[in-house]
Amino acid sequence: MEPLLAALLGALKLSAKLILIIVPLVTLFEVLRHLPVFRKAGNIVEPAMRGVGLTRDAAVPLFTGIFLGLAYGAGIIIRVAQQKYLPDRELFLMGLFLATCHSVIEDILIFAVIGGSGLAILGVRLGLAVVLTGLMARIWKPA
Amino acid sequence: MIEPGAPAVEEQVPDIPTRIRTGLSAGMQTSLKIIKVSIPLYVGVTLLKGTPVLDLLGKAFAPVMGLFGLPGEAAFAFVAAFLLNLYAAIAVIVPLNLTPFQVTQCGLMMGIAHNLIVEGAVLSTTGARGWVLTLCRLVIACAAGLLLRGLWLLGGV
Repeated sequence: MEPLLAALLGALKLSAKLILIIVPLVTLFEVLRHLPVFRKAGNIVEPAMRGVGLTRDAAVPLFTGIFLGLAYGAGIIIRVAQQKYLPDRELFLMGLFLATCHSVIEDILIFAVIGGSGLAILGVRLGLAVVLTGLMARIWKPA
Repeated sequence: MIEPGAPAVEEQVPDIPTRIRTGLSAGMQTSLKIIKVSIPLYVGVTLLKGTPVLDLLGKAFAPVMGLFGLPGEAAFAFVAAFLLNLYAAIAVIVPLNLTPFQVTQCGLMMGIAHNLIVEGAVLSTTGARGWVLTLCRLVIACAAGLLLRGLWLLGGV
């Protein structure tokens, strides 16, 4: 009986930590996501995006994915991809970037809470995403 | 939710108290969903740890996990991450008492490849190459894992 209780207590502690991350994060996102700053951010990152073969049409779905993740950001990613008629090449490049580097805030927070190094995780993911997408953009030339 | 055939109107901007309420309730709902999965997983792994079952299975996966500097038991966390999500994965990781490097390694590899079924479907809807991208994620996760291991062995991380 005692091991079971200890396990339950551990599980409850972990759950409390998770709630403490998720609830403020989701709330903060809801409050901030309508700010015009986020719409303008596209201008600043445009040169960097061109380096990996993307145009600014892909900015909103790209950044939604990077910060929120694929499942949570799905609604926005799908809608924008269809509205803007992003070409196949760009969809693939965006997908490749996001496959490597998405949902960074949440992922890094939860692993930092259980003792991992957030900086190492972010650095390797971002670096790999830029290198791989940049490489693919040069292999798959625009039509 | 988008109505079929509705024009692409700008989303109406709710006032701040409404947004806070929406955020809190959405956050609580997400938390509850996650906790329903992670509590049984955590308890299950903790109890299994005292039995030879986890040891045996761990030994079976040790050669593969060893490539990334992880113990064989970490394979369970990968199964949980691939099929479910990171919260399920950390419910498995915490009872295993991994080192900080090993937790970082799991965070890196699982951050790239997780929730493959649901997210594979999302990636498919944006283009026709969902399965290619899912395969890419698995390959990239392994590459990232080897890279971090290499950096760590060099003493960089």
